[in-house]
Amino acid sequence: MNQFLRFLIVLLPILILVFFARVLLVDEDIKFSNFKSKSFPEFQLNDLNGNPIQAKSLNGIKLINVWASWCITCLVEHPFLTELSDKNIQIIGLNYKDSDTKAIAWLRKHGNPYLFSIYDPRGDLAFDLGVTGAPESYLIIDNKVLAYIQGEMNQTKWDNIFLPLIKKARQGS
Amino acid sequence: MMIKKLIIIFSFFILSIPAFNEIVYEFEDSLQEKRFYSLISEIRCPKCTSGSIASSDAPVSRDLKNKVYELVLAGSSNEEIKTYVSERFGNFSDYRPALEGTNYFLWFGPFIFFSIMLAMFFLKRRI
Repeated sequence: MNQFLRFLIVLLPILILVFFARVLLVDEDIKFSNFKSKSFPEFQLNDLNGNPIQAKSLNGIKLINVWASWCITCLVEHPFLTELSDKNIQIIGLNYKDSDTKAIAWLRKHGNPYLFSIYDPRGDLAFDLGVTGAPESYLIIDNKVLAYIQGEMNQTKWDNIFLPLIKKARQGS
Repeated sequence: MMIKKLIIIFSFFILSIPAFNEIVYEFEDSLQEKRFYSLISEIRCPKCTSGSIASSDAPVSRDLKNKVYELVLAGSSNEEIKTYVSERFGNFSDYRPALEGTNYFLWFGPFIFFSIMLAMFFLKRRI
């Protein structure tokens, strides 16, 4: 009995340490990998040029990227998004709490990797999606939101979270 | 002379921007007001590491507060409002973690550890 207790006294703190290390040292990227999928919220908004957006434009495999002209980190991820669109990944912008004139000027200056950008100056659609700021990115496959990240999109996040889901969807169809 | 100086100093306080920055929420009765303030202290700010939307001035927290205000006025129950928020921002948004899954460990972990410690203490004394 005594030996068992001694063993326990040593083991218990080690177990606690392991438990907290596992919970607290989780990488942000992995944190978002167990995202619960949900259907894309309904919305009625225009694109940056003032044309109403058709619901069917969200069919297929789409990357939704939340951006704004006031957002500095959006500039950081911009080259990577451009690279993705060059590889035929379809990206739809969600222009968040911005003004259309500033947004259009920003795209003209830095290049436009988006098929089109949804203009959401009050952040209505963004609120229903659960956007907490910019930049953020969502993977939409046939109107279902399957993955989500906060912060800038980069190669690691793309390879670990988005690419496996896209490959799976392509194999399925 | 002294009074003039004091007036100048106080006008800095009165005319400061924060004095006009606070959004004032108006309610039909005090129950609504109480519910609003308890709800916003129980919903976690999605943009903060640890803080409620009541303590945060992030744009998303402001939107959340406005939404909670709207829903309280529309007569939604506390449960409905929390579900509304967690549907959009995930379970993370609830400051009081729900009693389910791994959260059992969170709620009862301290009691379990405490009882193990007590048991060890008494067992050791008997030996």
